[in-house]
Amino acid sequence: MNSETMLMMLIALPFAGACLAALFPPNARNAETWAAALVTLGAVVLSASLFPAVATGTPVRLNIEWLPTLGLSFSLRMDGFAWLFSMLVTCIGFLVVIYSRYYMSPDDAIPRFYAFFLAFMGAMLGIILSGNLILLVVFWELTSIISFMLIGYWYQKADARDGARMSLTITGVGGLGLLAGVLLIGHIVGSYDLDAVLDSGDLIRSHPLYVPAICLVLLGAFTKSAQFPFHFWLPNAMAAPTPVSAFLHSATMVKAGVFLMARLWPVLGGTYEWFWLTGFAGAASLLLGAYFAIFQRDIKGLLAYSTISHLGLITLLLSLGSPLGAVAAIFHMMNHATFKASLFMAAGIIDHESGTRDMQKLGGLFKLMPYTATLAMVASAAMAGVPLLNGFLSKEMFFAEAIETHADSILDTAAPYVAVIASAFAVTYSIRFIHAVFFGERPADLPREPHEPPFLMRLPIQLLVLACLVIGIIPAITVGSFLHIAVVSVLGADTPAYSLAVWHGLTVPLGMSVIALIGGALLYVLLRHYLAHCEEGPPYFRRLKGQRIFERVLVFVSWRFARLVEATLGTRRMQQQLRLLVAVSLVAAAIPFYNSNFGLGLFELGQIDIPFALLWVIGIACAVGAAHQAKFHRLVALILLGGAGVVTCITFVWLSAPDLAVTQLLVEIVTAVLILLGLRWLPKRWEDTELGRAPISTKLRRGRDLLVAAVAGLGMTLLSYAVMTRPSPDTISGFFLRKAYEEGGGRNVVNVILVDFRGFDTFGEITVLGIVALTVFALFRRFRPAPDTIESPEQQRIQAATDEERSDRITGQTVSDYLLVPSVIMQWLFPVIIVFAAYLFLRGHDLPGGGFAAGVAMSAAFILQYLAAGTVWVEDRLRILPVNWIGLGLLIAGCVGIGSWVFGYPFLTSYSQYIDLPVIGEIPAATAILFDLGVFSLVVGATVLMLIVFAHQSIRRLRAAKISTTTIEEVA
Amino acid sequence: MSIAAADFPLWAAILVALFLLIGSSLTFLGALGLLRFKSFYERIHLPTLGTSWGTGGILVASMIFFSVTQSRPVVHEILIAIFVTVTTPVSLMLLARAALYRDRTEGNDTVPPMAPDTPKPEPIVHD
Repeated sequence: MNSETMLMMLIALPFAGACLAALFPPNARNAETWAAALVTLGAVVLSASLFPAVATGTPVRLNIEWLPTLGLSFSLRMDGFAWLFSMLVTCIGFLVVIYSRYYMSPDDAIPRFYAFFLAFMGAMLGIILSGNLILLVVFWELTSIISFMLIGYWYQKADARDGARMSLTITGVGGLGLLAGVLLIGHIVGSYDLDAVLDSGDLIRSHPLYVPAICLVLLGAFTKSAQFPFHFWLPNAMAAPTPVSAFLHSATMVKAGVFLMARLWPVLGGTYEWFWLTGFAGAASLLLGAYFAIFQRDIKGLLAYSTISHLGLITLLLSLGSPLGAVAAIFHMMNHATFKASLFMAAGIIDHESGTRDMQKLGGLFKLMPYTATLAMVASAAMAGVPLLNGFLSKEMFFAEAIETHADSILDTAAPYVAVIASAFAVTYSIRFIHAVFFGERPADLPREPHEPPFLMRLPIQLLVLACLVIGIIPAITVGSFLHIAVVSVLGADTPAYSLAVWHGLTVPLGMSVIALIGGALLYVLLRHYLAHCEEGPPYFRRLKGQRIFERVLVFVSWRFARLVEATLGTRRMQQQLRLLVAVSLVAAAIPFYNSNFGLGLFELGQIDIPFALLWVIGIACAVGAAHQAKFHRLVALILLGGAGVVTCITFVWLSAPDLAVTQLLVEIVTAVLILLGLRWLPKRWEDTELGRAPISTKLRRGRDLLVAAVAGLGMTLLSYAVMTRPSPDTISGFFLRKAYEEGGGRNVVNVILVDFRGFDTFGEITVLGIVALTVFALFRRFRPAPDTIESPEQQRIQAATDEERSDRITGQTVSDYLLVPSVIMQWLFPVIIVFAAYLFLRGHDLPGGGFAAGVAMSAAFILQYLAAGTVWVEDRLRILPVNWIGLGLLIAGCVGIGSWVFGYPFLTSYSQYIDLPVIGEIPAATAILFDLGVFSLVVGATVLMLIVFAHQSIRRLRAAKISTTTIEEVA
Repeated sequence: MSIAAADFPLWAAILVALFLLIGSSLTFLGALGLLRFKSFYERIHLPTLGTSWGTGGILVASMIFFSVTQSRPVVHEILIAIFVTVTTPVSLMLLARAALYRDRTEGNDTVPPMAPDTPKPEPIVHD
């Protein structure tokens, strides 16, 4: 297996594992853990075995074309830095999988957990291994989304939902910023390829768009790495299950931001702007994070703020622009991941065993769980920077960098003091964690009786703590070579000489460490009693909650502002909406008219065909009549509209477009019926009273609407006139006419275009039609008619009253008598229309007709049944499953398309032939006709679904009316 | 599928012309009547001329014409006949009912009032 394949597998394996994990039964905890552990172990092995290839110094690359015209490629690239990170992600991922087996309770949805967990690992590896910046952003967004799912894993808890939403909002905004930043970089460099970008550092730094680019990229990095002022989502994300916190919020996802900063550091870093942006954010996060961490009551909250602080330290190191700072940053990323992941797992054990994470309630657990306590103590010591542990090494490097002068400014002068104070705080909160949880009095009222966890739950912590110790004592032998290739791959020729020794002699950094350790310990002694009883949150800053500000902003934007805009700019009146729509389209159409010198073109009088002109006179009369009658005589208007529609159909026939005519006719029929059904819901209007009362303003408004309508109509006329009086340009229609029979095997060119030449378009269109039908269905499901139309129509009430009044009738008899003969005839028409639809469908290949026309005709048959006998009667007797029709249609169409793959042709290739049947004769048999069957089925399903929605409105109204009358009766 | 006038047999031409004439003149008469009759209830009767034998004649002509020119029986005009002859009575019936209902509600005296209330007939019991 060559290294490119291994690279591809490394990305693909977690995603494949995620798909697999999702399929397990909910209670298969052990099987699920085995599968996930094997997948993650496989990823560890794959990463590890890539080391020899990476160690040569040239990155391993894999390039698959994606959208080459846009400069996008699926390119993976693994250098030393990426290797180190992928080892970190896969190893910690593996350990967390084992840990999760014991942490998650049997009631939790285990498949969902592992599926998202593995998918997250894949996305994270994607960020690390992307060789193309756009691809990196894609994986970046993917981590945001999956992290949302994982934080909100216990979605039944409000804080999990809120935390998930907050982290998604903030990291999502950052992701958008990153995308924009990456686009700017791509614009500057001319390529999104990471190698090309890394080679053009000088070009980017001297470009006028440099500052916007780094602002946007840093927005992405800061939000992801929870840097000040975007830090507040991380403590809220602690509502996630602890394995998720251990993996995402210590080791991996929050590291993505600093990973990106380190990755692009050689290109973007080293300038004054970079120093200020990252230096300020880093210093603020370092100091505030450490300060806030001291005053947390929740163990996980303490660890979250500590993470913010440590990530701030890394950001600060990267701001300095010195290669040694970058070395320290990379080293600290590793060290932080090891001790923080183990601490989170320890916190999870404490929570799991004692039932609480509140440090004011806990205490004296050392006697009950000595192993866990010892492990947590070592990890905390690493966090505090105690010598002989890995945290000490990178912290010393940090101190050494902090006292150097890099860019002369206040921030640079303050850096050593910030560093010492923050380290002292780190010592304080580390001691607090250990002291509050493991020492002191053993409280009596713990929710559970704590004891040591199972061995395998402790094992991951043991391994990580062992790593902390080994790296801390013999750094050069253990991680020296790995760190070196990572550093070289980032810094290249600028790699400075650095030393990983534990003892550098009596230096200033050592002195700073000692001050920090002693100062931090003293601070804890002073604060001890306050911390044992204080409120949640640090003093003075308690009221200033980022979360609260964030929620305020969200409420303003998504509620108040939105309502304000809706109140001032929105309207519920159809007239205003239509007026706006027409006016906007008028302007939009008028601009090109004006710009391109509209001319009327040639028109030769004397070609008028008298019967055709008369036909159009009738059509125009109908249309004008419909407009005139629309307000007070809606039924008349509808009938006149039908007349105009028929004239249009005849026009199509006249101009030799029978296909259009057939379709138009059927569409006219169905539209007329739909409007007819809708008429019942419109409020009744009386001509006389309304005209008599109309004030001037109303008349003015009507006049304006008339003007708008007239101008729009005139514009449409001019537009059609201009188009029709010009010779038609040479289009591809000639090609279709020539090729339809020889290549598509059909004489009906329109149909052949629809199902063969443009089959893929049609496939898309029917999909959209299905979606539209489902949307209409969904919208109407909750729809209730307006209160003034909820009552039965007047006619029904009068009929009912007559029926009640007369002794020779029973209620409802009038309607059923009236409709008896018509409804019987309409029911008889059902089979006739089916025959008609079949006829339209079968002839479609060579003559006007086809799946669409047949589908519309077929749905007319259903409409008629609903009209004839009423919804209840029809549905008692006829099982109509329109959604199945839609699904079946899509399935048939898709399968026919895929079928051509079997024979080695592209999607939707049609095969046609004529079959000679006895009696019936020669009939066309193209695969396109099967595709057309799919179209037919979908059109039937979609149309019928929408009709049923309308039909059910009437039942709904009846039911509502029944309820109101029964309540009235009860009251009476 | 054009066909020269000379190839078309004379007997068929006469038949086609005859049926076409019958159909179109009946339809025309119906339309004329629709224009001339005054009340709605009178007018209701006229379109039936066009939709019964008017359509029928034209369709028979069409069937003969296409059967002769294509030398095979072309009969799908029957569907049109069914649709037209079956649906027109339905719409006319509904229209008449609606008009009657409306006239009665508005109290117009052009229509006879409802039949007097008669007690319910005793249910017939079969032994």
